[in-house]
Amino acid sequence: MKSLLFWIPLLLVPAVVDNNVVLTILIFTFILGILAVSFNLIFGFTGQLSLFHAAAFGLSAYATYLSMAHWGVGFWLGMLVGIIFVTVISIVIGTICFRFKLRELYFAIVTLAFSELARLVVLNWSSFTNGTLGINFTVTPFLWMPGRGVVPVAGTMMWYYLSLTAVALTVFVYSRIVHSWMGRCFASIRLNDDLAETLGINVFRYKLISFVAGNAGAAVAGSLYAFYSSYIDPNYFSIDQSLAIIAMALLGGREFVAAPIVGALVLTALPHVIEVNAEARLLIYGLILILAILVMPRGIVGILAGRRRAA
Amino acid sequence: MLLEVRHLTKRFGGLTAVSDMSFELDDGDIVGIFGPNGSGKTTLLNLISGVYVPTEGQLVWRGRELTGSGPHEIAEAGIVKTFQNPQLFRELSVFENVAIAGHLRLKRQIGWRRAATLLPWYGAASADLSERIHHVLELCRLTPFRDQPAGSLSYGGEKMLGVAMALMCEPKLLLLDEPGSGLGQDDIRNLDEVLRDLRNHGMTLCVIDHRVGFLGNLADRAIVIHHGAKIAEGPPQEVLRNGAVIEAYLGHRHA
Repeated sequence: MKSLLFWIPLLLVPAVVDNNVVLTILIFTFILGILAVSFNLIFGFTGQLSLFHAAAFGLSAYATYLSMAHWGVGFWLGMLVGIIFVTVISIVIGTICFRFKLRELYFAIVTLAFSELARLVVLNWSSFTNGTLGINFTVTPFLWMPGRGVVPVAGTMMWYYLSLTAVALTVFVYSRIVHSWMGRCFASIRLNDDLAETLGINVFRYKLISFVAGNAGAAVAGSLYAFYSSYIDPNYFSIDQSLAIIAMALLGGREFVAAPIVGALVLTALPHVIEVNAEARLLIYGLILILAILVMPRGIVGILAGRRRAA
Repeated sequence: MLLEVRHLTKRFGGLTAVSDMSFELDDGDIVGIFGPNGSGKTTLLNLISGVYVPTEGQLVWRGRELTGSGPHEIAEAGIVKTFQNPQLFRELSVFENVAIAGHLRLKRQIGWRRAATLLPWYGAASADLSERIHHVLELCRLTPFRDQPAGSLSYGGEKMLGVAMALMCEPKLLLLDEPGSGLGQDDIRNLDEVLRDLRNHGMTLCVIDHRVGFLGNLADRAIVIHHGAKIAEGPPQEVLRNGAVIEAYLGHRHA
């Protein structure tokens, strides 16, 4: 019930705010919110620092666009292709990492290596991906809406509600997982995986499920982000992007499913509040990360909630 | 026959921690494993529970070979172990610790339908373990602490929570690694009562301890190990009078 208080005002924002900049910031917040929330399933709830998240985001963006361009499928089917592609890749990478029981930094480094590998493939396979130049989109997704039939997804309003629905659904699905017996398995892995194993929990299986389910969320975010900004390039895979995702999760708070959205809002709005160039932005991310860890290790939402989380 | 340990050997590099160990456990047995510090008791338990893979030898569990299975597979087969130094999910409450340990119970109860309970139209009821959790907390005398963080328990409480979590797994065979070490008299009495309760419920127990008095009263059978090898086996009072055992504990002159 409390969560409704959070979502209803967001439904009403476009009725009150007639400022395109604000709405655009919110759209990016929602889409990057999906990315940060899904990252936090792996990082905050299961305790695995994955640096593959930006790559899952980028791979899905490319897979969606390329499947539309080459197979002529629609946007939603293209997104499904992106999700399936990312899922398969995640199963392979997850199996490699978790079979070898890579812990903490080793896992982070190996996922970073896979992420760089993906970036280099996209960068150098120019005939397919157009390399550094990236791809400008000319296609528009369509959406069936009750009462209005099939309409193009265009304009700020349309994207606002589409991205809001997507992020709300993401939060709903992950909440369902986190507050179930499966969430307890994730928590047991985060807190003491040796103990979890002796209690009969298949640590490998649940690490893999968490990794795949998190990356699938990144895939959804990737497709939406690509089509909202109508442009993809290898920067989707950059380490900056991975850092930004970590900063969002830490800043918002790791203990609550929806909290990283608050981090996404801060980091999306920040460059508009203070005008900075790209290099300075990295500096600010770094500073925020350090400050967040030092001053509020539980993040903005963690401080507001005041109480420790249940499971 | 519940468990058959056949010629179990574990070498760490040049060190032989457990050598050519063989014994059998029957349903309902209470077996005490004695031995001085460093004699290989904990290694033996870690071998049985799958934490270590034996260098040689076999574990046969109810007629099925278990050698080489991982700890979670062995736990699922029905062998659960508690740790000498309590291992807990310290940040979580006592209740949640036991709830996590309910994983196997849930798995046995509803199998793959677990996945369906994640669907939105599925109520939480089918995956509810709270009744069983209350029962286990009551049995281990932890009910007053159920909402406290596990990390805030006394040492005795932590050990008892370890037992509670193991019980929640509903093992056929419970391995207890020095459950009494570091406990005061009250906690020991409490533990003794809990273990007697379990015995009355027909659970098979395998308890390690070097505190001979406590274990001697509880166990039906004692196995004494020294330098990783079995040196005596039999009724506790008899075994503890055995010359080799006295020598292992107290040294040559006393034997």
